[in-house]
Amino acid sequence: MKIIINDTEYEFKKGQMVLDVARANGVHLPTLCFNPLNAQARPAGCRLCVVEVLEGGRPGLQSSCTLPATDGLKVSTRSRPVYNQRREVVELLLSEHEQDCRNCFVSGDCVFSELSREYDINGVSVCSECPNRKQGCLLSRGVLCLGPITYANCDAYCTRRGYNCEGCHSVMKNEDLLRFGLEAFAKAEFTKEEILEAARVFSFEGVDVLEKVMIEEGFK
Amino acid sequence: MKEININVEHLTRIEGHGNIILNAKNGNVEKVMWEVSEAPRLFEAFVREKPYHQLAQITSRICGICSIGHTLASLKATEAAMDIQISPQSELLRRLAIHGENMQSHILHLGYLVSPDLFGVGSVIPLVKTHTDAVLAVVKLHRLANEFSEVVCGRTTHPTNLIPGGFYKTPSPLKLKEYRQKLLDSVETAETVAEIILDNIGALPSFSRETEFIALTTEDEYALYDGVIGSTDAGTYPVEEYVNVVNEFVVPQSTAKYCKNKREAFMVGALARFNLNHEKLSPMALKWAEKFGLRPVCHNPFMNNVAQLVEIVHSIEDSVSLIDRLLIDYKDESRPVITPKAGRGVGAVDVPRGILFHEYTYDKDGICKKANCVIPTNQNHNNIQHDFETFAPQLLDKPEKEIELNLEMLVRAYDPCVSCSTHFLKVEWKR
Repeated sequence: MKIIINDTEYEFKKGQMVLDVARANGVHLPTLCFNPLNAQARPAGCRLCVVEVLEGGRPGLQSSCTLPATDGLKVSTRSRPVYNQRREVVELLLSEHEQDCRNCFVSGDCVFSELSREYDINGVSVCSECPNRKQGCLLSRGVLCLGPITYANCDAYCTRRGYNCEGCHSVMKNEDLLRFGLEAFAKAEFTKEEILEAARVFSFEGVDVLEKVMIEEGFK
Repeated sequence: MKEININVEHLTRIEGHGNIILNAKNGNVEKVMWEVSEAPRLFEAFVREKPYHQLAQITSRICGICSIGHTLASLKATEAAMDIQISPQSELLRRLAIHGENMQSHILHLGYLVSPDLFGVGSVIPLVKTHTDAVLAVVKLHRLANEFSEVVCGRTTHPTNLIPGGFYKTPSPLKLKEYRQKLLDSVETAETVAEIILDNIGALPSFSRETEFIALTTEDEYALYDGVIGSTDAGTYPVEEYVNVVNEFVVPQSTAKYCKNKREAFMVGALARFNLNHEKLSPMALKWAEKFGLRPVCHNPFMNNVAQLVEIVHSIEDSVSLIDRLLIDYKDESRPVITPKAGRGVGAVDVPRGILFHEYTYDKDGICKKANCVIPTNQNHNNIQHDFETFAPQLLDKPEKEIELNLEMLVRAYDPCVSCSTHFLKVEWKR
C-alpha cells in the first residue's frame, strides 16, 4: 500500500496516519500539540500539521495527525494553501506573545522563533510604522524610499525624520509581502535596476527574491 | 631573577580584538608584542563598482563610534574627485557634525573605558555605586553629544543627512538654537567630569618616548574638518600626498597594516592634534590643559586621555560659536544637485582617534573604480608596539598583575578602534 506525499510514493502499514508516514520518511511537518511520548493521544489542536489532500480523499486542508493513510492518497505538505494556513496559525498564536521574535534573546532556541522565521511572521514593512503612509509618502514625492519592501521594527526612524529608507533592515524575503509592497512602487517612476541597486547596499538574500518578483510583476 | 609571561588575549575595554604578549627572563625582555587578530573588513572592495551616492552610506559602516568621521572623509573624497564646492553654510554645519562626534567618542572613551583604571576597578559598573554623580555626569554629556549629532546628521550613528554636495535636509534653526543653550548648560557638567579626572590623574603612569605626531593643521582654527597634513618633525604636506606620509607596511603579528614616516613610528589622535595646534584651542580648553599640566610637545602617550578631555571642552565652546555664526544668515539648502564626473580625490578629516584618509577614483558615470581608506588606529599600531618595547623593560621589577595593567592602560590610552583598522588578509594556500 502506498501514499503519495509531494509527488513521492511512500509505503505504509495499516493504521498509520499521514503524519506518521511523513515523519518515518523524513518529510518535514511542523507540530506543536503532537507528543511523541504519548502518540496515542491526538488532540489535533494546533493545526500546524495540515496538508492539502489532492486525490483519493476529501479534497482540501486536513490535519495529517488524524488523517489515516489510504492506498492511493495524494497529499501536499508545501502547497500555497498549506503555507498560508500555517502562517495564519502561527501568527494567531504569536499575537498574544509579548516579545518580538526578531529582537528576542533566546532566538535560535525556541520553537516559536523558528516558526516565526519559517513563516515570516514579523514581516511587516517599514510603511506600517511610517507616519507618512497616509499622506506625504516620499515615493509620491519622487524619492526612492525602500520602506514598502524593507522589514520594519526600526520605528521608521529615517522616514519619520524625513529621510528615505535605505533598507538597512534587509529587503523582505517573503514573496507575498514583496508583491504587496511593490504596489507602492508601481505609481512612482523608478526602473527595476534603480530599485535593485538601492536594495543591494544592505541586502543580500532578499534581493534575488525581489528580482524574481519584480520580473513576475512586469517591472522594467 | 623571576620569569614573567603575560598573555592578554583579548584585551578588554577597547574597540575590537587585540592581544598583549610579554615574555621576560632574568630581567631581560625577550618578547613584547601588540598583536591585532581581528578579521579584515574588506570595505575597499565592497565599494568598487558602486555609484558615488552610496559610498558614504557604505563606508560609514566601517565604524559604529566614528561613523560621522568616515562619512565626512568619504564625502570630502567624492567632492574632491568631482570638483564639487559646498556652500559655506554646509561647511559650518559639517564642522558641527565633527564636533558632535568628537564629544561623543571622547566622553565614551574617558567615561566608560578609561575611568575604571583611574579608580582601580574592573569596569564602569562598580563605579555607578561608588561614584554615582560622576557616572551620571558622564552619561548626561554622552547623551547630549548623541542628541546633538542627531540634530545635525539625522541619526546618531551612520548619518543619513550628510550627502555629497551638502545636506539632504538643512537642520532646523530652532533645534540649533535649542542645542546652543543645552551646550552652554553642559559646560558645567564637563567641568565636573574634568575635576573628577584631575583628582585621580595620579593613576596614569608617567612614561615618555619621543615620537613624531601627525594631524591636520590650518592657520586659523583648531583643525578637525579641514587642513593640510602637519607633522612635528617635517612641516606640512598637502592632503593628496598622504600615501607618502603614512607609508603602510605589513607585519606578521597583525591583520592591520603598520605605518611610519620620518621616524620608526608616529602617533595620531587627540594628543597629536594638541601638540600641533594647541594655540588655536578655545580659552577654556587652554585653561584646562594648563590645569592638567599638558604642554606641547608632550611625548607621554597616557596624556592622550587628557588631550581628549581638553578637546571635549573645546568642542562645546567652538560649537556654540559656530551656531552663532550659522544663525546670522541661515538658509534652507536641502538636497543640492550635483553632476558626477570622472576623477580621483582624497578626503582627510581629523576624527576622534586621529587623521583619517579616504581616497576614491571614479569613472565618468560616478562609479567607484578604486578605493583606499587609511584609518587612524592603523597609523597608531606601530607606535603602540614601539612604546611597548620602551615601556616594558621599565616595568619588570613590578608584580606581574601591575605590569599587565600598565601595558593595558597604555593601549587604552590610544583609544584604538581595532576593527576599523584591520585591512590585511594573509592567505596561506595549501595545495
